[in-house]
Amino acid sequence: MHRSAGLKPTRAAFGGEHMRKDEKYTVIVGCGRLGASLANAISDAEGSVMMVDRDEHAFRKLDAAYGGLTLVGDATDVAVLRSAQIERADTVVSVTNDDNTNIMVAQIARNLYHIPNVVCRLYDPEREVVYREFGIDTICPTVLSTREIDRLLGHEKEATVR
Amino acid sequence: MKMQVLLIGGFDMAKALAASLIQKKYRVTAIHPNDACCEALSEIKDLLVIQGDGSKPYILDEAGAGRADVAIALTDNDADNLVICELCKKRFGVPRTVSLVKNAENTAFFRQMGVDAVVCATNTITGILEQLSFINDMTTLIPVGDGRLSVAEVTIPEGAPAADKKLWEINLPGEVIVGCILRKDQTIIPRGDTRILAGDTLVLLSSAHQETDAIHELTGR
Repeated sequence: MHRSAGLKPTRAAFGGEHMRKDEKYTVIVGCGRLGASLANAISDAEGSVMMVDRDEHAFRKLDAAYGGLTLVGDATDVAVLRSAQIERADTVVSVTNDDNTNIMVAQIARNLYHIPNVVCRLYDPEREVVYREFGIDTICPTVLSTREIDRLLGHEKEATVR
Repeated sequence: MKMQVLLIGGFDMAKALAASLIQKKYRVTAIHPNDACCEALSEIKDLLVIQGDGSKPYILDEAGAGRADVAIALTDNDADNLVICELCKKRFGVPRTVSLVKNAENTAFFRQMGVDAVVCATNTITGILEQLSFINDMTTLIPVGDGRLSVAEVTIPEGAPAADKKLWEINLPGEVIVGCILRKDQTIIPRGDTRILAGDTLVLLSSAHQETDAIHELTGR
């Protein structure tokens, strides 16, 4: 059950003049290292950002200059996503530390709200493969790291061979 | 060929379901992440227990999800239950998936995502508790169709207004019908001229929460 007090988005108000119609709106779920750094980058560069996390202490990871909104709540609760005005989002990024939460949020965004861009992070490579087949844009840190380490080692090998 | 049922998570419910299904000659496998729970589950005769996270494909594979006819997700986390059912259905081709949900609002979404049956335990149970708290003549009340319709069982005591009356003589609310009369070993599908006797148990179908009025009309309480 979400805390109702958490359902009020903080900082800038919605629909104000600062938010133009053509401005991009990104909802990020999970204010971990990845989520926070994405939020900082996007709110610096383009459009407005809504960050949702069930722990309000997580928002400390955001820059002091972060210009977006924050909302405390469990994003697998559709009521919380509604408060985050998910229906207006161009992009939803789900990067909590729980794979199943990320999957569910991504599917709500995709299937209930028809958000054009939905990305979710999955730690488990096996689940990642399955959900990619299901048509969800997934990234898997293990797969990315493996590929990068491979590349680095491959280069090293080449260097020693020469 | 025995029907195969997979139970994922949910200790108490898994235990009760497993015992009941095994008695009905189903082949049952339970998956649970917790050591102690698995040990307790494994005391049930003929129950195969797999320890692990049932939302992981390799655990489902190990539990024989590929051969299961029914998968029932019983964890207390809606996201976990959704992923379990989706993996069972789409990855392992389980024909029927059933899920518990905590948040009633997820019921329709789960159905949309292809889960065959969704049960919101909280709503179902609070509905029954609420009814039973105020009406002690009702032994069972089953909500159907998200609670829009309910099936209630009510026994007619000696001297009740409905005793020894024909069905058409009773002024039941418009949204209620008596679907069945249980009399000793008999099951009677009543007509207007069927006489109700003291000791009968009536099965009522009612919509719009009119069962309370109906029961008042029948039993006088």
